[in-house]
Amino acid sequence: MKNLLLLLGLTLLTALGPVVHAQTVTGQVTDQADNSSLPGVSVLIKGTSTGTATDVDGKYSLNVPGAETVLVFSYLGFQTQEQTVGNRTSINLTLQEDASELNEVVVTALGIERNVKALQYSITQVAGEEFTQARENNLANQLAGRVAGVNVTNVASGPAGSSRVIIRGNTSLQGNNQPLYVIDGLPIDNTQFGQAGVWGGSDGGDGMTSVNPDDIESMSVLKGASAAALYGSRASNGVILITTKKGTSRKGIGVEFNSNVVFDQINNQSDLQNTFGSGRFQGNQQTGASVRPTTVRQAYDWGTQAWGERLGSGNAMYFDGVERPYVDAGDNWSRFYETGQAFTNSISLAGGSDTQTFRFSLTDLRSNSVVPNAGFDRINMSLSTNGKFGKRLTFDAKVLYSNENTQNRPRLSDSPGNAFQSIFALPPNVNIEWGMGDPNRLGTIPVGTNPDLLNTWGFAEREEYLMTNNPWGQNPYFSTYQLSIKDIRDRIITSGSLKYNITDHLYISGRAGMDWFVRRFSSLTPQGTGFDRGGNISEGNRTVSEINLESMLAYNRVFGKFGVNAFVGSNWMRRKDETISANGQRFNVPFFHAINNAVIRNYGYGFSESGINSVFGSAEFSYNNFLFITATARQDWFSTLNPNYKNGILYPSIGGSFVFSDALSELPNWLSFGKIRTSWARVGASTVAPYQTLNVYSLLGAPAINFAGQNVPMASFATAQGNAGTIPNPSLIPLTSTETEVGIDVRFLQNRIGLDFTYYSQLSTKDQLNAQISRTSGFGSTLVNLGEMRNRGIEILLTGTPIQNSKLTWDVSFNIARNRNRVLSLIPGTEILNVEEPRTRTVFVQHRVDQPFGMLAGWVQKRTADGQPIFEPNGAPVQSDRMEVIGNGIADFTGGINNSITFKGFNISALVDFRIGGDIYSGTNVRLSQWGLHKQTLPGRLGEDPLTVTGVVQTGTSNGQPVYEPFNKTLTPGEAANYWGRMGDRVQDHFIYDGSFAKLRQITFGYNFPKRITEKTPFNSLGLSFVGRNLSILWKNIENVDPESAYSSGNGQGLDFFGMPQTRTFGFNLRATF
Amino acid sequence: MKLINKALLLLLVATIPMMGCDTQNLHDLNINPQAVSEIDLNFIFTAAELGSASGGSAGDNRYLDWRTNIGMGAYLIQHLANAGGGIAPGDKYTENFESSNAPFEFFYGDALKNLSEVLRQTGPGGYDEGKKVNMRNAARILRVLNFHRLTDFYGNIPYFEALKGMDGVFFPTYDKQSVIYPALLKELEEATAAMNATNPNEGFSNSDIIFNGDITKWKRFGYSLMLRLAMRVSNVAPQLAAEYVTKAVAGGVMLTNADNGWVPMSEGPSVWINQNGISRAFYPGDGGQPSYLSKTLVDWLKAGATTAAEVDPRLMILSGGIAQWSANSWTPTNTNPLQQKGMPNGYDAAGLDLLEGRTVDQTATYSRINFLMLQRQDPYMLMHTAESHLLMAEALQRGIGSGIPGTAKAHYEMGVKAAMQMYTPFDASLIVTDAQVTAYLQRHPYGVDKPALEMIGEQLWVSKMFNWWEAWSDWRRTGFPVLTPTNHPAGVTNGVIMRKLRYPAYEVAANANFQSGATLPDLFTTRVWWDGGN
Repeated sequence: MKNLLLLLGLTLLTALGPVVHAQTVTGQVTDQADNSSLPGVSVLIKGTSTGTATDVDGKYSLNVPGAETVLVFSYLGFQTQEQTVGNRTSINLTLQEDASELNEVVVTALGIERNVKALQYSITQVAGEEFTQARENNLANQLAGRVAGVNVTNVASGPAGSSRVIIRGNTSLQGNNQPLYVIDGLPIDNTQFGQAGVWGGSDGGDGMTSVNPDDIESMSVLKGASAAALYGSRASNGVILITTKKGTSRKGIGVEFNSNVVFDQINNQSDLQNTFGSGRFQGNQQTGASVRPTTVRQAYDWGTQAWGERLGSGNAMYFDGVERPYVDAGDNWSRFYETGQAFTNSISLAGGSDTQTFRFSLTDLRSNSVVPNAGFDRINMSLSTNGKFGKRLTFDAKVLYSNENTQNRPRLSDSPGNAFQSIFALPPNVNIEWGMGDPNRLGTIPVGTNPDLLNTWGFAEREEYLMTNNPWGQNPYFSTYQLSIKDIRDRIITSGSLKYNITDHLYISGRAGMDWFVRRFSSLTPQGTGFDRGGNISEGNRTVSEINLESMLAYNRVFGKFGVNAFVGSNWMRRKDETISANGQRFNVPFFHAINNAVIRNYGYGFSESGINSVFGSAEFSYNNFLFITATARQDWFSTLNPNYKNGILYPSIGGSFVFSDALSELPNWLSFGKIRTSWARVGASTVAPYQTLNVYSLLGAPAINFAGQNVPMASFATAQGNAGTIPNPSLIPLTSTETEVGIDVRFLQNRIGLDFTYYSQLSTKDQLNAQISRTSGFGSTLVNLGEMRNRGIEILLTGTPIQNSKLTWDVSFNIARNRNRVLSLIPGTEILNVEEPRTRTVFVQHRVDQPFGMLAGWVQKRTADGQPIFEPNGAPVQSDRMEVIGNGIADFTGGINNSITFKGFNISALVDFRIGGDIYSGTNVRLSQWGLHKQTLPGRLGEDPLTVTGVVQTGTSNGQPVYEPFNKTLTPGEAANYWGRMGDRVQDHFIYDGSFAKLRQITFGYNFPKRITEKTPFNSLGLSFVGRNLSILWKNIENVDPESAYSSGNGQGLDFFGMPQTRTFGFNLRATF
Repeated sequence: MKLINKALLLLLVATIPMMGCDTQNLHDLNINPQAVSEIDLNFIFTAAELGSASGGSAGDNRYLDWRTNIGMGAYLIQHLANAGGGIAPGDKYTENFESSNAPFEFFYGDALKNLSEVLRQTGPGGYDEGKKVNMRNAARILRVLNFHRLTDFYGNIPYFEALKGMDGVFFPTYDKQSVIYPALLKELEEATAAMNATNPNEGFSNSDIIFNGDITKWKRFGYSLMLRLAMRVSNVAPQLAAEYVTKAVAGGVMLTNADNGWVPMSEGPSVWINQNGISRAFYPGDGGQPSYLSKTLVDWLKAGATTAAEVDPRLMILSGGIAQWSANSWTPTNTNPLQQKGMPNGYDAAGLDLLEGRTVDQTATYSRINFLMLQRQDPYMLMHTAESHLLMAEALQRGIGSGIPGTAKAHYEMGVKAAMQMYTPFDASLIVTDAQVTAYLQRHPYGVDKPALEMIGEQLWVSKMFNWWEAWSDWRRTGFPVLTPTNHPAGVTNGVIMRKLRYPAYEVAANANFQSGATLPDLFTTRVWWDGGN
């Protein structure tokens, strides 16, 4: 099959149009110092933006208009050279290092390549090879720690989970705060397919899991508003531009092969008490004692209680009816979790003639999660071609195809099906393997089980083998082997563009692109599941397509010392989203899980369509190549807004840069390069879904049945069905975000030290909020244009090359960013907006006026006016009357340090990233404390240190006011157990942790075999490396869980509740070209 | 050049859609092809009727009953007991956030939201202004039903500004219960008066799944509700109570079981909408909530009986016996009325073992709710005649209002009779004969065994099986039956029966009007206004 596709691709290529002969120049660029080849050298036709870059071997190939053409070879840190082509077809040259030059070309908005000098904003480019060694299924996760001001939250949601990438802080109080992803000029869909919320669920992944790192040439992060202004509405959170690899003109076909194998292991951060076993406190709270289970019923009922006796002597009864020693059962995590594996094999073929180039690649990823019976497989194919027709017409086209197959995304947060919670909840004397049940249907009750036991459990053979009486606390084996969630996505991202050079300075171009996918999903809750014994099944299909048509007219010319680079264009976007699903409940033929076997069957249908029309323009003026002024404007019109109000918005930007190192001659020679830049831009967005402007009705899914047995149709609000719902708003207008940025980029000592510093100030106004409102309004939320929020921050990138000689190079880069966010206003009359709540329901993520985005607020211990904690007579804390701010889930500082050392054929690199500040509310630790598993619950138990509380207790009232008296009590074991139960419900600040951490995020150690060895082999080059990701948490402040334990990539950050434990990854990467 | 022409043409084609920025095409994209902007409001009224029963039109027909009606009400008033499993904060006075939150979510967010839309669109400026008069006024009556339940649970709640989200009121202010009650009574007075069989039907009959458009029954329902509300404030606002008891009786309250308000339920077509939410909560293989009757209830039904015939005939209707119940079978193991045994409230399984001095097999020990009353297609009882009679008996006994025909004793007896004979809609076999009723009344003569008011209160209590939250409100007002509180270590009230629900945390956290207007302190032990609070 794969061979067939390959053949097909190749056939297509050869069929591509007539080969038009043009003057083509090829050659190789090398470093004068050591004759090593220089990859990535910009080769531009002078006076235009047309050009190419050298490949890994320093080779290039470029069509030129004629013999008079002057080629400009430029490379960061080297002297730029110009060569007139003449009648040459081959130009090889060496570049000399130059401290004063900085002439790299980067891809900016709309795929326009621009000189770094001219940029009035901060842009960071990350090379593709950073992503192909130590891999992540979700490419976005690999940006962690690499780019100043880009905060990547590793979501604790398992393989193929979604990522949360926030550039320069959150700009919308509630909308999507993630950037726009653009592949080769085409915006792609990054829909998030479901998150775990207060009631649990699973992370359905997002659009970025489709992207194959092997196809990536580079990723550019456009951080500021002015960088992104040309993308208009969808770029208000920044843009990540992905440039894919292209073919090169060469002899024969270049083949590159990459094989990567990595292993995944759970990184167990739990450190629980294993001194006391299952059981509970019994009888009078003052005088009673902890007891162990002695009957099956007790064992079953107390399944998540570790308030029993001290382990080590005698026997106890267990849930499965077996009496066993009452001793520590050992490490359940290593019994349950497996070693995950991921194999990625990638092959690419590239080549081309003078006028046609192509690249084809095929990548196959197969992975198994550390969680049994779960995994993610992906096949990527890509084909790209470039062609030149005559002197003036160029064409390029590409197709990226991906097939993703995800099995059993873990269920997170609230318990139904959350295996992580079930594993955490086991008392230390219970061995998880006792819950395996039927070996052929793990987690189910074996056929032939004693009927008395079945009666006790209230379950039948083949049904779930519950280890406790809580039907929502799944048997972890049942959860992983019997419950099922699957999704398969087939996706095609394709685009083609034509460019016609009307004159040497004027061109017109058009681009059409489509991002299309079908996501097939199914889920099964089998018959006999604890919380749904009838069982249910659903099957569905979602098709999303987004089409972009873009056209552009550009003018590019140098007049003496003055240069102009300008364009105008338009874009037309249409998006369609359609879902068809079927759901069945209960099964006619027992345990036959097919939708056509369901007793009750329903269907669902969803449809939405939206569009944006846009026009845009940009003009850059330069003087003597050291002063640049750029202005852009874009107008968007949205289908989702009402044209009677304001359905369109204009986004202007203006900025300039001044390369003072070029402009001023009297500079000390330790200063190699210097540039200052400033910009201002206003961008905006409309984040509302389609059909949110009008109040409309739709029929409910099923009619009521009256006493005569007749169907009676029922209807409700279309947008506000259910017990909450959103109030539509006809007068919504786009939100706007205005940003000012200044920066300086300086390099010293022959570019050995570099500093890039940025300050920005950004203000979001008229935010489109789906604001949570009082349920007493009849609705859960409303769409409003309100709220104002400010982000201010600095970004620092320091680069250095402490050692550089012909044998050894050591590069260091350090980045750090600080973002200060402040919510300036919300809905008039309210200072608080709820965003999200965890399953404990005692804490909220809230926005509060005059405080940063995403405060954590919760109940705390009630205190007297002078601050004394108030207790109940039994020592339990009294809860405060109102919720207090107890933390904030957003980090203050983020950053990373990357060291890379090259010595002869060896290279080693290590990336450490860190987060300083930000809090986590750990629902996991709340539950662990309530269940008596947390180590902090040891004091107060029999034979342990005493637990004493000090404060006041209410003794009565006087004139309606409470009277308090001093209180000091050493709690009895029963009171201590009660104390932790009440602490978990009432005193949430006790479970707030500093979320700071530093992690050894990535390490690679590689060796490139020298030419003299590869020459004797079929290989052109051969490299082998050891890779590792997330190997170690260097520093953290939270017990039992990873500081990156947020289970959601949504705006409610800082909440931990039994997310998937993080994993360590390590393995090998082999790369060969021939 | 041909190639170039083609290229230019292509570019032109790509550009054309943007030329002139075709905003009409763009705007048309935002017309939802799957919804309408006007609809027959009867459809919404039906959804509100179903929602008033179970919150079912909001997509989960068991959430509300399970958490609050059963989880709190049934245990607090000791109709049921729970030694583990399911949702039972009312058994041991523990805290369960969902049990407190559910009415706030499902009353405001389901039935009341839909009713408000009916009133909006049939009211000034609505697209059905002035039309569908009977349906509109039936909606007003249902609105009162939902609102009084809400304020009874929480105390002060937003009433006047509530449900105006569509008009831009997102954070309503709180109204005192003492202000809400007179408004609810006035609303009932107007709505019942406005309903008339001569008004055009306009689809009301077909949409009304409760009374099939029978205006007389709607009026009885409205006046019975008025009687309930009037009596509920009788301890704190005697004049208001007297005024509206008089009006209710003059208007005509429910008098026979044919007047009872039932909402029909059905096995299909969707499990989450039409099935009886109470049944689903208890159903084995679905909710699986334990269905054991409380010792308090069973003992009361057996009180004084020495033979099976002397046991209250309701016992074997409500219970059906000690039985094994699975999704596939109901197997009674003991149906002898004298040997029925209720589970004591406030114990966990281990506590029961200690109490009984042996390992207790709950299934083999305690009486369950009769499975015939827990079928998923069983109708849902909203309100019954027995209550009207018993409240009239109480009003006469206490001298509240005027114009009530007959004697307190007569109404008590009619109330007991109606209560005993109202279960046939669950199953035709659940019959109590007139002779059984007479014999019962002779064994328990009015005002003889116990004071008359206590007997009325106890009869009211036992009649409200399945309507447990109402029984809770009655108990809070009358103090009958006299219940012995439980005291389990996990309890949060130090052994005091809860007297109100706590407000949802998200409301406390987000609505700035909360602190100034809600019933505070927001504790389970705080009393609402008609319960002697303020």
